[in-house]
Amino acid sequence: MFPVFADVPLYPFAIVVFWGAAAIFALAMSRHLRVFAAARPAQPQPRPLGQIGPRLVGLVQYALIQTRMFRDWRAGLMHAGIFWGFVLLTIGTANIVTGGVIETIVSAPFDGLLWKGISAMQNVVAVIVIGSILWAFERRLISRPRRLTFNRDALLILGMIGGVVATELLAETFEFAAHGDQPGAFVSAALAGPLRSTVPVAILNDLFVVLWWAHIALVAAFLVYLPFSKHLHIATSFPNIWYRKLAPRGELPAMDLEREDATFGLKSLQDLGWKDLLDGFTCTECGRCQDACPAHATGKPLNPKAFIMGIRDMSVEAEHGLDLIPNNPIVRETYALAGAAPEASRMAAPIVDDAIPYDAVWDCVTCGACVEACPVLIEHVDKIVGLRRNLVLEESRFPVELTGAFRGMEGQGNPWGQPASTRTDWTKGLPFAVPTVAAVAAEPGGLDELEVLYWVGCAAAFDERNKRVARAFATCLNAAGVRFAILGQEESCTGDPARRMGNDYVFQILASGNVETLNRYGMGRRTIVTACPHCFNTIANEYGQLGGAFTVVHHSVYLQRLLDEGRLRVQEESAAAAGSVTFHDSCYMTRYNGVVAAPRDVLGAVPGLELREMEKNGKNTFCCGAGGGRMWMEETRGTRINTERTRQALDTGAGTVATSCPFCMTMMKDGLADADASGAMAASASGAALAGAGAGVVNARDIAEILADVIQPDPIPAGRRLPVLQ
Amino acid sequence: MRIVVLVKPVPDTASGGERLRPDDLRLDRAAVPAVVNANDEYALEAALKLTEAHGGEVHLVSMAGPTAPETMRKALAMGAASGTLVTDDSLAGSDMVSTTRVLAAVLRGIEYDLLLAGADTSDGGGGIVPAGIATLLGLPYLSYAAKIIPDTEAGSVRVHRISATGYEVLESPMPALIVATQALGEPRYPSLKGIMAARSKTLDTNSLADVPLEDGAAVGGAVSTTAVLGSEAPPPRAATRVIREPAEEAARQVVEFLADRRII
Repeated sequence: MFPVFADVPLYPFAIVVFWGAAAIFALAMSRHLRVFAAARPAQPQPRPLGQIGPRLVGLVQYALIQTRMFRDWRAGLMHAGIFWGFVLLTIGTANIVTGGVIETIVSAPFDGLLWKGISAMQNVVAVIVIGSILWAFERRLISRPRRLTFNRDALLILGMIGGVVATELLAETFEFAAHGDQPGAFVSAALAGPLRSTVPVAILNDLFVVLWWAHIALVAAFLVYLPFSKHLHIATSFPNIWYRKLAPRGELPAMDLEREDATFGLKSLQDLGWKDLLDGFTCTECGRCQDACPAHATGKPLNPKAFIMGIRDMSVEAEHGLDLIPNNPIVRETYALAGAAPEASRMAAPIVDDAIPYDAVWDCVTCGACVEACPVLIEHVDKIVGLRRNLVLEESRFPVELTGAFRGMEGQGNPWGQPASTRTDWTKGLPFAVPTVAAVAAEPGGLDELEVLYWVGCAAAFDERNKRVARAFATCLNAAGVRFAILGQEESCTGDPARRMGNDYVFQILASGNVETLNRYGMGRRTIVTACPHCFNTIANEYGQLGGAFTVVHHSVYLQRLLDEGRLRVQEESAAAAGSVTFHDSCYMTRYNGVVAAPRDVLGAVPGLELREMEKNGKNTFCCGAGGGRMWMEETRGTRINTERTRQALDTGAGTVATSCPFCMTMMKDGLADADASGAMAASASGAALAGAGAGVVNARDIAEILADVIQPDPIPAGRRLPVLQ
Repeated sequence: MRIVVLVKPVPDTASGGERLRPDDLRLDRAAVPAVVNANDEYALEAALKLTEAHGGEVHLVSMAGPTAPETMRKALAMGAASGTLVTDDSLAGSDMVSTTRVLAAVLRGIEYDLLLAGADTSDGGGGIVPAGIATLLGLPYLSYAAKIIPDTEAGSVRVHRISATGYEVLESPMPALIVATQALGEPRYPSLKGIMAARSKTLDTNSLADVPLEDGAAVGGAVSTTAVLGSEAPPPRAATRVIREPAEEAARQVVEFLADRRII
C-alpha cells in the first residue's frame, strides 16, 4: 500500500501518530485563541486585512531574512542554520506523514533527478542543523550571554530539534546499510558504507526501525509540546510580524475619553488586544530587549522581556479550566464540564504587580530600545504606557512628583509650572527681534512671508540652560536670513510628557489647544521647526489624532538644509577650535523618527571638529534617562541612567558631548557635572584625551550652539535670498 | 461621617499674572484662571481621607463669583459628593465679616460632624473667616491641625495642633471646626473617572436672597469695612552675589557675609 516505506513495519501507524499529534497541536492553539477572543481591547488592534503591501515586505524582511537577528551576527547565523534547516527538513517529514506522496510525485519527472537533489540537500541541511544545535547548546550551557536566562524549556526544545534531525539522518543511514543506498543522500550513504561491512544486517535493520520510529515519536512529541513552549514562536512570529505596528513608532494609540463605560488604558488581561496577547506567545525569551533597556542596565526593576513573558503567563493562566476539546452546552451540562470561554475572574486579573511590578511601569523611559531590538517585532512601550494610562486616569496612582508636572501642564501649560507670561523671556538680550506669529499675522500679508514657525518648546522657554540653545538656534536662523516667528504665549506644552506619563486627559486638552492655535494661523500649510525631539514627535505623529496635519522639521535637519543650500556659512578660520565631539543621539529622533545623519552633518560642517562616536549610537543609542516623563520623576531605583550614558560619552575621550534634545541636554549636563565633581571625568577620560580638549572639563552643548559659534553672522541681503525652504 | 469643607476659587498664583483692577484696586479675577485655594485643598484632602476611613460624604460650601462652579467641579472631581455655592453681585467686594456671616448662615442649614477650612486664602490672605464662623456658630475651634483623629462612637475629635515647639493635642466634641495645614498631606490628583463623575454631581447655587441671614445683618461690598487704599510693587531685589570658590573658601566667605550682618 505504501511502496515508499515498504521497509518500515507498521508504517501506517506513523500517519496516525503524526496527525493525532497535529490535532492536539491545533486544539491547544485554538485554546490560546479562545483567550484572544475573550479580550475586549482597550486600545485599537490591527485590522485583520489591509495594508498587505507593507505587511508582506515586513514578513520577508523580518520573518524570512530575519534582518534583526543578524545584529548579533553569531546568534543570527546559528538561528538561520536551525531555521532554514528546519524548514527544508520538513519536506522529508511531510513525505513520511503523507504516505510518501511527495516522494512519489517529485520522483516522477527527470527520471527522479529532482528527488535525488532533494535527498542530497536534506543530508547537507541535517548536518548544518546538527552543527547549529551544538552551537546553540554551547551558548546556553558554556558561553551563556547574560540576556539568555537558563531554562529547561530551551534545552528541551534544542534537544528535540537535534533529536528529530539526528534520528532522521541515522535512520536513513541504517536503512541504507541494511537495504542498500538510495540515490542522492550522499552523507547517509557515506556513513552507511563502513557499517554495512561490520554490523550484521539484522541489527542494522533493527536500529533502522527503532530510529525511524524514534523520529516519528519525536516529531509528534514536538508538536504536542510546542503550544506550551517558548518555542511557539516558530508558529506565532509570522502572524506577529505580519500584524506589526505600521503606524509611526512614536504614535501612541488614540484614546476616546468620552466613553463613560470604557476601561481607560490597560488594567487587566481582557483590556489587552489579541495582538498584545500574540506578542506574549511570540516572545522567544532571547533577551535582546532586556540587553537594550537602559532601565534594566542600571539595575531597575523593569525588564521588558519579563513583562512580555508575564503577559503570556497570565494568558496561559486564563486558559486553566478550559477543556482542550471545545464542547457544546449539552455535553457541558451532561458531564459537568467547564465553559468554553475563560473564567471572567482570570480575564479581569490586573496586569500590574502580576506581569510587571508597579515600580517597573514607571521605570520606563519610552526610549523604544526594546522595540528596536526585538527580532519578532513585539511592542513593549505602547503596553507600558497603556498601563500608566489606567493607573493615572482610573486609579490616580503614580509617583507623587508627577502631581506637580500634571498641575503645571494643566494650569500653566508647561510641566515646570512656570508662569506662562515668562515664555518669551529667552528672547531678551538677543541683538535681533523674534516676532510672534500674532504680530506677523497682524501685518497685511505677513503670514505669507513667514518661512517657518519656530516651535520653542517648554524646556527651551523655561529652563535656563536650554534657553541658551533657543538663543543659539534663533541666532542661526537670523544669520541665514530665515523669516521665522514664534507662538510666544500662545504656545503651550505639546502634551508629550503628559501622554507618556499616562495622562491622556491632559495631553488631549493641551494638544487640541495647540492644534486649534496652529490651524488658526494656517500652519498646516507651512513648516514648523523645533529643537525638541519630543515636541517634534508629538506634533508630527500624534496631532493627526486630533485633526492636526503639520509638517515638522527637527532643527538638526533644518540647520543641515540651511548649510547645504549655502544660506548658513561657516567661518573657515574660526578662532574657537571645536576639538573632539561625541554626539549623543536622542531616542525620539533616531529610533522613533529615523533622523541619524542630519545632526552629524551639521557637526561635520564645523571646521576642525572631530566626531568620536560612542559604541551605542544612531538607532542603537542609549537613552539619557529623561524620556517618557522621567524628566519629572525622581530616579531612586538602581543607578542613574544619565550617569551610565555620561560614562559612555567620557569613554570616547571627546571634549564635548553634543546633543540635539533639551532633555538630553539637561541629563548630560547634570551627568557631566556629577562626573566632574566625583573626579570620574579625569579618571575615565585618560588624561591625554582631555588635554586635547583644553580646559579639562567636558561640557554638553547643543548642535545649534556649536554651529552658532562658527557661522558668519551677516544675513544674506534680502535681494540674494535663496528659495524658501519647504 | 459628614464633613463640610469651605473652599474658595482664587486666581492661580502659579500663573504669575495676578493683578489688581486699576479703578477700584480690587483683585482682577478675570485676568487669571481660577483654581481651588491651595490651603483649602489640604482641608479637602484631609476630609476625603477621613470619609474613606470612617464612611460618609464630603460637602463643599463656597461664597464666590459667578464662575465658581467651574472651579468647584475640580474639588468635586477630587471626590467631594456635592456643594453649595452662594454667589451674588452684591457680595462682590465683601469684607471678611460679610463672608463670615454669609457662610455661617448657609452652614446653619446643613448637618455635619466636622467643618474643615484652609488656614487662609491666597487672594485676600485674611485668615480669620474660619475663626469667625466658629464664633457665630458656637463651634469648638481647632486650628493648625497636623493630624485629625475622630472618635465617631464618642462623638469627639482629637487634633494635633502645630505649635512653636511641636504639637498640642486638642480634643472637643463634634461638630467642630478644624483649620487644616499642609501637614495633613498632599492633595490628591483627580482621576478621569472622578472628573467625569463630577460633571453630574449636585452643585446647589444660591443668591443672597436664598441665604437666611441673622436679623439685621448687613453684608456685601456696600458695607465693607475694609478697603485697599493703594498698592505698589516691592523694590527689585539687590544684585545677587554668587560665590564661586572651592568649598572651604566659599564656606568662609558665606560665614563672613552673614557675620557682617550679625545674622550669625
